[in-house]
Amino acid sequence: MSDRLKTTLFGVEMKNPVIAASGTFGFGREYAELFDISRLGGISGKGLTLHGGPGNQGIRVWETPSGIMNSIGLENPGVDAFVATECDYMRQSGAAVVANLGGHSKEDYLEGAARLNEADVDILELNISCPNVKAGGMAFGMIPETAEEITRAVKEVTRFPLLVKLSPNASDIVGVAKAVEAGGADGVSLVNTFLGMAIDINKRKAVFNNVYAGVSGPAIRPIALRMVHQVAKAVKIPVVGLGGIATAEDAISFIMAGAAAIQVGTMTLASPKVILDIIDGMEAWCEKEGIANIQEIRGII
Amino acid sequence: MAVILENIPVGAGWKKVRLAWDGEKLRPGQFMMLKIPGMDPLLGRPISIFDWNEEEKTVDFLYQVVGRGTQIIADMAPGREIDLQGPYGNGFPLVDGDVTLIGGGVGIAPLYRLAKCLKEADPARHVRVHLGFRETALMKEAYESVADEVLINIGGFVTDDVDYTEDRILYTCGPTPMMEVAARKAREQGRTIYVSLENRMACGVGACLACSCKTIKGNKRVCKDGPVFEGQEVFYE
Repeated sequence: MSDRLKTTLFGVEMKNPVIAASGTFGFGREYAELFDISRLGGISGKGLTLHGGPGNQGIRVWETPSGIMNSIGLENPGVDAFVATECDYMRQSGAAVVANLGGHSKEDYLEGAARLNEADVDILELNISCPNVKAGGMAFGMIPETAEEITRAVKEVTRFPLLVKLSPNASDIVGVAKAVEAGGADGVSLVNTFLGMAIDINKRKAVFNNVYAGVSGPAIRPIALRMVHQVAKAVKIPVVGLGGIATAEDAISFIMAGAAAIQVGTMTLASPKVILDIIDGMEAWCEKEGIANIQEIRGII
Repeated sequence: MAVILENIPVGAGWKKVRLAWDGEKLRPGQFMMLKIPGMDPLLGRPISIFDWNEEEKTVDFLYQVVGRGTQIIADMAPGREIDLQGPYGNGFPLVDGDVTLIGGGVGIAPLYRLAKCLKEADPARHVRVHLGFRETALMKEAYESVADEVLINIGGFVTDDVDYTEDRILYTCGPTPMMEVAARKAREQGRTIYVSLENRMACGVGACLACSCKTIKGNKRVCKDGPVFEGQEVFYE
């Protein structure tokens, strides 16, 4: 591998700008059994909450054309278990380590962020956009004022660069992005899942116990790309783009739209090694186009 | 990618697909993800391994056409390719002594190779198989070729036919209510029972937590910690 994909995000050097998205990669252990995860630019771990939890009841995943809906509900071992057993594993993977933190209240976020200071990670990704748990963060990410407030408060506590993950369900995602930038975020990642719905007509019931669930995958990619483009034009901090990325072409298009790095999520669930094909394809494309570093094409659209 | 060698009907709405496989060793009770190429449907279909042949390098899956994904697989002709991911899951533990296997519906699939492996490990033991079907018995001869005794139940409760006092160890795979009853009856007689759970999955490898189930040891991942669990550990939902 050349340095064509080498990317520095908030001072963190990454082999490439390809990060496994939170909630689709565990803490790396399962996929390490299938391929060399050290090839990834970064791994964003399963979304943590302060005390952890068992997640949602009922059906948790449902397919939709070229996508899926999920209602996992942040099943996770909690921040302390992550600090004790998972973060060191992620560190030795060789990929940049992103801890993803959600919360039920401002106090939860702050306590979680404080305890994560004991972990050896590179970036804190603040989830203010999970649609699947009550006040699971999405409430904070829906309007600029609360998004800015939680960002500022967590930024004061954390010792890590702060990446704030945005919800596409906000009525004004550009406004939210500008607000978290004003609140001190080092970057934004977008998009989390789109709120969707499925009905079992024979049971005459909503498929999910929570009625609504998060839609992801290639089905939502054009909308995600548009939002990344809009946000990248509006903020000065780096943007990490995600939403249905399935191929190197998709990844490159997000970078052209303004993303400094990209995340791959749903496609890993469908085909675990797609993320490696994306990295290889980006490298090959840069070579073919005579591009010395992928960041040269960032935001050219 | 794995080539489809044959894809034959075995009964109303049931098919058996044979795929080329020269990958790692397989265990009875494990499953693989059959991922249809393309984006729609997006996820692989987790299907129990029915049988395999190490010399001919093939693996067989018995499946029921229940939705769009399995219909697409059912319509795929020999020569076409499918993305075969796995093997995943723990598989059945191979115990000593006489055993009873209880299968319901398409849940009978993993019990075929299980019976075969149990007999290979100890030809002298007695392997009894109970198969429950809603309308028509399928694959009876195949199971008779690998077990000492095959008892069929059509339209009733296969769990009523089982003598839980007879064998120390039982195995079951089928609809959740059936396995719940089998586990309760086994417990009442102080028998060990291994249940193979089915749950809606996404990744199949233990990363996404879509298939979590409740157990006395907390949440477990059906795809990674299972699909086989000790029957008394699971809370049936």
